[in-house]
Amino acid sequence: MPKIISTHSFRGGTGKSNTTANLAVLTAKRGLRVGVIDTDIQSPGIHVIFGFDPKSAKSSLNDYLWGRCRIEEAAYDMTEGCIGQVHTGDERPRLFLIPSSLRTGEIARVLREGYDVAKLNDGIHELVEGLNLDVLFIDTHPGVNEETLLSIAISDALVLTLRPDQQDFQGTAVTVELARRLEVPRMFVVVNKVPEGIDQDLLREQVEAAYQCQVAALLPLSNEMVKLGSGGLFANRYPDHPLSVSLKRLSDELMTS
Amino acid sequence: MSTNQPAPPIDEVGALLGRMRSAASPVRDVLRELHERLSKDDSGEVATYIPELAKANPGWFGLSICTVDGNTIEFGDVSQPFTIQSISKAFVYGMALEDRGLENVLAKVGVEPTGDAFNSIVLDEISNRPFNPMVNAGAIATCDLINGADHPERVARMLNMIRTYCGREIHIDHSVFLSERMTGHRNRAMAHLMRNFGMMGEKFEESLELYFQQCSILVTASDLAVMGATLANAGVNPKTGERAISADNVKYVLSLMLTCGMYDYAGEWAFRVGLPAKSGVAGGIVAVIPGVGGIGVFSPPLDAKGNSVRGVRACTELSQRFGLHCLATGSGGNALLEALTARRR
Ligand SMILES: Nc1ncnc2c1ncn2[C@@H]1O[C@H](COP(=O)(O)OP(=O)(O)OP(=O)(O)O)[C@@H](O)[C@H]1O
Ligand SMILES: [Mg+2]
Repeated sequence: MPKIISTHSFRGGTGKSNTTANLAVLTAKRGLRVGVIDTDIQSPGIHVIFGFDPKSAKSSLNDYLWGRCRIEEAAYDMTEGCIGQVHTGDERPRLFLIPSSLRTGEIARVLREGYDVAKLNDGIHELVEGLNLDVLFIDTHPGVNEETLLSIAISDALVLTLRPDQQDFQGTAVTVELARRLEVPRMFVVVNKVPEGIDQDLLREQVEAAYQCQVAALLPLSNEMVKLGSGGLFANRYPDHPLSVSLKRLSDELMTS
Repeated sequence: MSTNQPAPPIDEVGALLGRMRSAASPVRDVLRELHERLSKDDSGEVATYIPELAKANPGWFGLSICTVDGNTIEFGDVSQPFTIQSISKAFVYGMALEDRGLENVLAKVGVEPTGDAFNSIVLDEISNRPFNPMVNAGAIATCDLINGADHPERVARMLNMIRTYCGREIHIDHSVFLSERMTGHRNRAMAHLMRNFGMMGEKFEESLELYFQQCSILVTASDLAVMGATLANAGVNPKTGERAISADNVKYVLSLMLTCGMYDYAGEWAFRVGLPAKSGVAGGIVAVIPGVGGIGVFSPPLDAKGNSVRGVRACTELSQRFGLHCLATGSGGNALLEALTARRR
């Protein structure tokens, strides 16, 4: 079972955050302690899907990176809202969210000064140890940047999302190459937002030929997901929807890898 | 970075990936744990012979490793400036070799370890040479060999040499320099004695000034790691690609560091740690892992032999942990290089 899983895409809006959030919940429901960290410091967002109010966050990942708190102080227990009531004494299942700050000043500071990615690495490992996590999901900023590469370098598994779109196809090749050079042990290519009526076998073939690796899932473009508009956890809202079924299967595959 | 920016060219990609690997390296955990644990060791005494050194915070502790491919892993007070002190002796010796050639340098300064203290006024009875360039007498005689049309030019050349090793602009701490000069009676006496024996030239008084200046250069633990890595990298600074010393002369500097670099602890250091190293009274230690990288440590409290307590412990543990002893047959420093680039499992 992989400990650290990061989700990437070369271009934005491929569905990283929604896929990661749902995978995290489905994974926790297997009876695991799961963390989700938002390393998209420039444009944070995954907290929205969990229904987390950023104003209620005393500390965020940013505070840790600037040395203002320990990383565990920026972790919030989301178990009740996302999985349901768990006895207070029960260690599993648990779901923790480590959000990035939405304050303009904080985002500006990161853009202006950058930060030590090695410190992010330390934090991620402190988090896994300190919260005794079984699995940590890392949501990332789209494209190639330092924290993206760092999270690839420390991940046991990489989920690469792309849409059936020529720009996504081309760009993803770059990420695939970098991931190979960083020797990521497992790579899961996920084609998201696959419209109805498309030749799925052909699509799969094309992607597999382009990257020389298996496609782990084709996730359907869903009207309900569009309407949900990141306003909740899809797999909780529509547990029997084909998209939820596919996500569940993907989480099974991830966990048994 | 915007999403539609093209991928950087391939060599830059390699450097970037290298940086990411070292940022993700499991060695970080080892170093962080070591730093945390040794921080709690508050034994030792800060040097007090001049007021500037006595002011040092005994809690300061910086630990930095720089590899020959220019990747750095560091923890703690790695940017805190302190005076280089005796660590400069190794580098100025290298410069004298560059300026004068091996035989001319050997004619003035020996390469024999001595059981005497670093400030002893003992010269070789037959040749009148100081025993080696790591004791004060030898370092002062070595300074006399630094080329330059006049004193300012000699100072500038020496600063430039240290700058090349560090890869950044460096400065002299003037109040330390003035204190060293005012209280350096013993060093002054040695210079006169060596002048008397003809081991120092006419400019011996300026050379003594130069010696006080070289000891007062401000560096950081990060700098020491890069300086060590430069020696480990056959004389080329791995961060800047600039050559600081010829590859031929590196081996002479390193062998002196191995046999004479740690004051009266040099023998046991070579035995236990097995790394060419040099320490200074301000609490710095530079250690060289040939072909692999440099270690820079800064922590002011000193043990009875005058070496940084935390510095000695850190180097000793790193050497044992990663099998860095340079006379060990078998893995050598490879374990560290491998660990530096290994994926965390
Ligand atoms: N399978 C899907 N069907 C329909 N809409 C989807 C699907 N997956 C994601 N979306 C929608 O796409 C939009 C972008 O999703 P999301 O924020 O998860 O992408 P992202 O890759 O994290 O974006 P960014 O790169 O900006 O971080 C959201 O409005 C989401 O509801
Ligand atoms: Mg996102």
